[in-house]
Formats: sequence, structure tokens, C-alpha cells
Amino acid sequence: MRGRELVLELRRRELPQGGWSFGDSSQPSVEATTLAILASAAEFPEVPAHSLRFLLSVQRGDGSWPAFKGDDDGSWTTALAAVALSRVGDDSRVREKATGWLVDTKGREAHWLWRWKFKTADAQAGIDPDKYGWPWMPGANSWVIPTAFAVIALKQFSACTPSEEADRRIRTGIAMLLDRACVGGGWNAGNCVVYGSPLKPHIEATAAALMAMQDEPRSPMIMRSVDWLRGQTANLRAVSSLAWSILCLFLFGTPVDDLKSRLAAHAAEVSRIQNNSTLAIAALALQCGETIHPFALIR
Amino acid sequence: MNSNRRQFATTAAGLAGAAATWSVIRRRHGLDARKARSRVAILSAECYSDALETLLLGALRDFGLNIRGRSVLLKPNLVEHLPGAPVNTNPKLIGAAATCFLRLGASRVVVGEGPGHERDTEMVVSETGLEQELGDREITFVDLNRDELVRAGTKADYSGLGRLWLPKTVLGADFIVSMPKIKTHHWAGVTLSLKNMFGIVPGMKYGWPKNTLHWHGIHESILDICATVPVDFVIADGIEAMEGNGPLQGQLRRLGRIVLANDPVAADATCARLMGIDPRLIFHIAEAGRFLGNMDQNRIAMLGEGLPPNTEPFRVLPQFQNLQIRA
Repeated sequence: MRGRELVLELRRRELPQGGWSFGDSSQPSVEATTLAILASAAEFPEVPAHSLRFLLSVQRGDGSWPAFKGDDDGSWTTALAAVALSRVGDDSRVREKATGWLVDTKGREAHWLWRWKFKTADAQAGIDPDKYGWPWMPGANSWVIPTAFAVIALKQFSACTPSEEADRRIRTGIAMLLDRACVGGGWNAGNCVVYGSPLKPHIEATAAALMAMQDEPRSPMIMRSVDWLRGQTANLRAVSSLAWSILCLFLFGTPVDDLKSRLAAHAAEVSRIQNNSTLAIAALALQCGETIHPFALIR
Repeated sequence: MNSNRRQFATTAAGLAGAAATWSVIRRRHGLDARKARSRVAILSAECYSDALETLLLGALRDFGLNIRGRSVLLKPNLVEHLPGAPVNTNPKLIGAAATCFLRLGASRVVVGEGPGHERDTEMVVSETGLEQELGDREITFVDLNRDELVRAGTKADYSGLGRLWLPKTVLGADFIVSMPKIKTHHWAGVTLSLKNMFGIVPGMKYGWPKNTLHWHGIHESILDICATVPVDFVIADGIEAMEGNGPLQGQLRRLGRIVLANDPVAADATCARLMGIDPRLIFHIAEAGRFLGNMDQNRIAMLGEGLPPNTEPFRVLPQFQNLQIRA
């Protein structure tokens, strides 16, 4: 199974109105749509105009994207949309508005009152609330995955359009990721310790956090996390987690050809992959090293 | 001037007091789903084996459920795969329940869950052994984190959410079975059939974890979710339960019991008592006992064996020691 075949399958699954749902529903998801656009852009010179039109049509007035069409709130998918638009060479004000929303959006613990609460009543959460990132949706705490993709989107955007505000948010976001790392390396959803017990890292969160820090100094913690992720791939069969691992490890110089072969074998029965975001990320991982990496940072 | 200030302060204090009183007494639900008498069965089972199917089918028949021609959604508790830790509802029990409901005449049985932390649901389903179990029985699994969503008004108002996006699979099911793992919970005290319904809330909208709901209050959100999506039946997995720092980092507790009930509040009250925890002190169970089901033992009919006379209470975190039933 090659990336092109997965992309062709993705194109067959695109909704008539444009965009992709996660599975067999008719409700377009911004996450699935942005990943499918990235996969398509990696394989073909042009992304179909109706796919991009759909993505642009669901951007909200404040610059954010909702999680899915019909949702009233902005969401973490704004970062993915900014990355996708960056990849397809969009230079309009759309991305500028999106990154503006990202700069303004903070985890709820950024407010002084909640910072104080996390330092006193909720100290068992084991986080330093002065180091905050981005929430899944406004009104919630910072979590690792939304923070990682927001950092990637801002780093990509500010490579050409630097701003002090964006840089300040990037630094706070990186500090938050470093603060929330698990004891032996890697990242869980957000906390590293609860009531004194360490939490186990997750593959996707670890891959996303490391990709956000690919251009940061290679601290022992970062390298421990890379080692942890590399270790996890030994017996990994799940398509999505394997694909995220490949995309991440490639950026840290780990040879990924064997992992790609395994992923191709696991993804061979494409009809069994019902989740379109999984299909898209698998296509991106299979294209890794052969085309522009969608989450690569050039600073 | 001083008189005006005093007047203002008195009025402001009066208004604040009235607001506080109103927030306490205001009606937070407009329904009463309590049965005259709920039915609960506690089954003894020492391990997860093929014999569970026979045990479960016999017990389900005792409830006289009207399942024929109806679609059934089984909602287990799947969080993530932590080898050796009793975190998830055991796949053998889920598979056995699916087959039992089909044998009782269900038109369709699906298993649906939206894990709260781990985004790779396919990995959780595969690594826990559920994929194999359901595949063998030709039962479909639905990832509730990524299902098509429908906005529904909440049928209670504890959290202030007002409306929730919920999966179409859940709203379209005729009969919902909550299948929790019996565990302690470091925020809610316990996680049983009511708390288990947190998993129907979609990650694609509310994130991983569903942290927005935490900000609206865990107990309050549980009440609003369960009022909006009523649980028809409970099969709680207490063969291997969890005590201590649950729901992920606690210790195995071999309880050797499965709890069945036609009322989630009666189920949770009974499970809590099995755990040596007073259900009246768990806010969401106590409050649910006012409108969603029966908490009082005199309104619960026990089928088969009753509560064991002497149970070693589950170990809990220090802040929950006040929840333990005193001898």
C-alpha cells in the first residue's frame, strides 16, 4: 500500500459539499478535512479547489475554525487549518486571522485566579500554571496536543511573518510542554503526575509535542522522549499511532523505512480504516521523506 | 451619605442572599424517572470466562426486559490499555452481554465508547482485546468521540451547559446499557454507571479529556448527561475492581461480583455499598436519587443474593475517607 492509494481512497470519500467527516457520517470534521488536504497536497500538485473552498467556508469571523461544520465555537483545529493553508501556499489574510486567534487564545489556567487555584487547592494536579498553552476549545485548560499544534502553526507562520506576540506565546507554549512531560519522558494528555502517581505517556501526544520542539535545543528530556517513542514502535500495530510516530521520528533523524513498511502492511486493507483522519495521517506517514513534511519547521 | 451607603450595602447583601438562596432552591430538573421499586441483582463470578454468557442470560431473563425488536447500545468503560490494571470493562463481559441481548431478541446491538484520554480509539479497542471479542461475535464498535453529532437540550440544569452535542448513535438507540468498571475515582469519589456516561460526550467537540465539562462541575455534568440520555439498564463489572487512586492508578481489588440493575441510581447505590462507600455522600448519586432513580434500599428489590454482610471497604484517597460507611 502506498500513500497515493490512500489519498485516492480519501478523495473517493470526500463529501459532496467538500470536506471529510471522520467516518461514514455527512458531518464534515475540520480535523479530518485538514489532514486529508495535507495528504492530498503531498501526493498531487494541486489540492482540489472545492476541498479548499469548503475549508475556507467554515472559518469563523474571529479567525478560528470550529471542530466540525455546525459547531458554534472556535477550536484547536484552527492550528491544523493554519498548517494546511501554509502547505498549500495560501498567502491570504485567512492565515493571519487564524494565527491572530491562536495568539489570543489561552488555556483557562492562564487567568490569575485559576493560576492561584492550581498553586493552592489543586496542587495535586502537579502543573505549573504560569506555563500555559492552548485548550481543545476556549474555556478549558491547556492540553498537550492542542498546544503542540498551535506552536507548530505559529512557528510556521512566524518564520515569514515574525511577531513578538507570537514569539511570546510560542515560548510559553514550549515551557508548558516541558512542564507537563512525563517522568521518564513522553507526554500524556496534559498532566504528568496525579496525587503523586506518574501517568503513562501517550504516543500521539508525545509525537505532537516532539514535533513542536523539533527546532528546540535537544535537552535530555526531549531525547528521553524520542527514545521512549522509538521503543513504543517496536510492537505497535495501530495505524494512527504508528503514522504519528513515523512523522515525528523522521524529524528527529530516526530511519523510518522499516516502520513505513509495517504501516503499509497494516494499512493494506484500506476498507478497514473507517476513520478518515487515520487514513490521511497514514498517507502522510507513507509519504514521509519523499515530499515536504507538513509539520516541519524552518526558522 | 452614610445612611445611603448603609442602605446600599443592606440592599446589596439582601440581593446577594436572595440570589444564593435561589441558586440552592431553584428547580434543576423537571422530570421524575424514579420507579416505584427498582430491581438489582448481584451475581458472583470469580473470573472472566465463557461461562459469563450463561450466568448473564439467566439473570437478564429474571428482569423480564422488553428488548424484542429494539436496538441496544452497550456503553462500556474504556479509557486506555494499562496491562494488568483493572481500568476497563472486561471485553469478555462486553461480548457476553452483546450476545445475551441478541438472544433476548434485540434487533441490533452495538458497542459505543468515547475514551476520555487516549485519542487513538482503534488502538484502545485493539489492545484491550475488545476488537477480537466483538469481531468473533460480529458486533460493531462505534467511536463515540467521532460519531455524527446532534445538539440536544439538557433535561436537567445542574451544570449550566444548557445544550450538549451528543452522538447520533446514542440518541438513536432504543435501549442503553451502561457497563461501568467498578472503581474509585480521584475527583468524583467513585466511577459507576452514571459517571460512565461521561464517555458518550464526544471528544471531537469537547476534547481529550472532556475538560470543559470538568469546569462545569463533574457531578453536575454527570447529572445533566444522565437526565438527557437515560440509562435503561446497568451491567457493572466488579469481578476485578479498582480501589485507591482510581480510575487509572489504583490497585486491583478482587470483588468477584457483577451488578445488574434496571435503574442506574439503584445500581450505583448498591455498587457503592459493596465498596463500603455511603452513596448518600456522593453528590451525583444522592442528587440523582431525587429524580433519576432509587437510592434508598427500601425502594430496591434485590434479586438473588443480597449485599454481603461483611465487606472490607475499598481503600480510598485520604480526602475521601469521610465517604466510607461507618460500622
